[in-house]
Amino acid sequence: MAAVSSRPVGEPGNLTAAGLLVPATIFVAIGLMVPIAILFRYSLNAFVPGQLMVDALTIDNYVKFFTDPFYLQVLWRTVRVAVACTVFCLLFGFPLAYVLARTQSPYKNLLVMAIVLPLFVGNAVRAAGWMVAFGSKGFVNSTLMGMGVISQPIEIMYTEMAVVIGIIAVNLPFMVLTLQSVIEGIDRNVEEAAFSLGAPPMTMATRVLFPLALPGILAGVILTFILAMNAYATPVLLGGPKFQTMGPLVFSTFAQQNNWPFGGAVSFILMTATLILTIASSLLIRRRYA
Amino acid sequence: MMADGRLLGRVALYGVAWLTLAFILMPLVFVTWLAFFAQEIPSFPPEGYSLKWFGAIAGNRNFVTGFTTSLQVAVAATLIGLLIAVPASLILARRQFAGSAVLNQFLLLPLVVPGVVMGTSIYVFQIETEIATGLPILGSLGGLVAGHTLLVIPWTVRLVTASLTGLDRAAEEAAQSLGANQWTTFFRVTLPAIRPGVVAGALFGFVTSFGNLEMSLFLVGPGRVTLPIAILQYLEWKIDPTVAAVSVLQILLIAVAMIITDRYVKLARVV
Repeated sequence: MAAVSSRPVGEPGNLTAAGLLVPATIFVAIGLMVPIAILFRYSLNAFVPGQLMVDALTIDNYVKFFTDPFYLQVLWRTVRVAVACTVFCLLFGFPLAYVLARTQSPYKNLLVMAIVLPLFVGNAVRAAGWMVAFGSKGFVNSTLMGMGVISQPIEIMYTEMAVVIGIIAVNLPFMVLTLQSVIEGIDRNVEEAAFSLGAPPMTMATRVLFPLALPGILAGVILTFILAMNAYATPVLLGGPKFQTMGPLVFSTFAQQNNWPFGGAVSFILMTATLILTIASSLLIRRRYA
Repeated sequence: MMADGRLLGRVALYGVAWLTLAFILMPLVFVTWLAFFAQEIPSFPPEGYSLKWFGAIAGNRNFVTGFTTSLQVAVAATLIGLLIAVPASLILARRQFAGSAVLNQFLLLPLVVPGVVMGTSIYVFQIETEIATGLPILGSLGGLVAGHTLLVIPWTVRLVTASLTGLDRAAEEAAQSLGANQWTTFFRVTLPAIRPGVVAGALFGFVTSFGNLEMSLFLVGPGRVTLPIAILQYLEWKIDPTVAAVSVLQILLIAVAMIITDRYVKLARVV
């Protein structure tokens, strides 16, 4: 009896605690970390057409990527699209996040659901929605032609703009939800104080709200940037086969060309580029508002 | 004058906010609209409306088997994920030990590793395991479930630890002082108290697994597709009301999951 109650409830012995932690930890370690390590090792192997992968220890795959203008252009296009998407997500996401955080409406939960639902519906389905809108006989072209604004359908599908619009819509919920949780933590009174001291709304926002919301802005920017860099379904469906970005490039190198070493290298370049640009952007934002 | 500035600011704020919300929902609206078109070609304005495309889904083998596979994989991955992640969350939320914060972050890692990278990594891992053991793993249902379990673990850890942090220990102590043993205390007091977190974790895990595309692309074998892959492959070829109807079914399924989750935990608090 004494032995049982000497230990706080819900707090098993050290051995039991370890036993409860181990399965999940091992699963993630073996299921994710070991695979990433193997992939890195693969990226140092050589690829001989006809023989597929040959054991080696070489950086040729990385050299190939950075010396071929085609691949550099794919990387540059991916970065360009990701930066544009992240900037727009922040610009449009902030007002919605603010309204959501400050609303007293009884329908707030419904609003949150309207933002969360698309997030879980999947990228292919949302790309399908844009395909309906953007096609040559789609909603946008039919409406514009019906109003007499244009006489010929304009090309929207398979352009960079279609991809950017698609990714912005995919990533906006992430940005909005991240910002909303941080804005909710900011005391409303500091905003009122700024207003009562005569600050116009924009001044209040840039001098009070943005600096206080900085952690959320950073988290949202990082998340949406990572997602935009790694987008797959949206560039494939809205950009078409000629619009190559890094995500689809990894897949085609792996699954269609069976070039695992180079595919591994492209994966790692994508991951590293994402990481470096994420760190750079967070430093930039900190400097701007710190 | 000052009040005018604030009023103008509010109008602009709400204007942009509502437009953004409309923009987020727009693709779902278009795809749902198309599912009810009478004609096959997605041209506007529609020639009429029809429900026939929902019947056409059954005639497409990829959609039917894709749906079954996705359902099987998501259910299996969710169950396994809960089984190993709930115990870990219990310890992580209640114990401070050297490295507990790091371990917590570690278990959340699958949320931040990009889908394509996860897919390629697990693909090569399964190939190596297959070579080493001679077991057919790559392209098998088990291999797919193993990958998807990785997606369930972080959601469960995140939501269960969140529901535990607010939990008062007093109820459990009371149970024990009244003579309940550890197991009884756990099943009769702790588990009911963290049920919202477990349910939310399960549903989020399920939905993430069900909708996963990038990782699954690498792990499915010949002749086996998941629903998102079936939709992607169809869309690469053409867009018509049939694929839109399938999409509507997926949207409905996820909406139901969201509404159930919301009954247990307010969505605004967990995402």
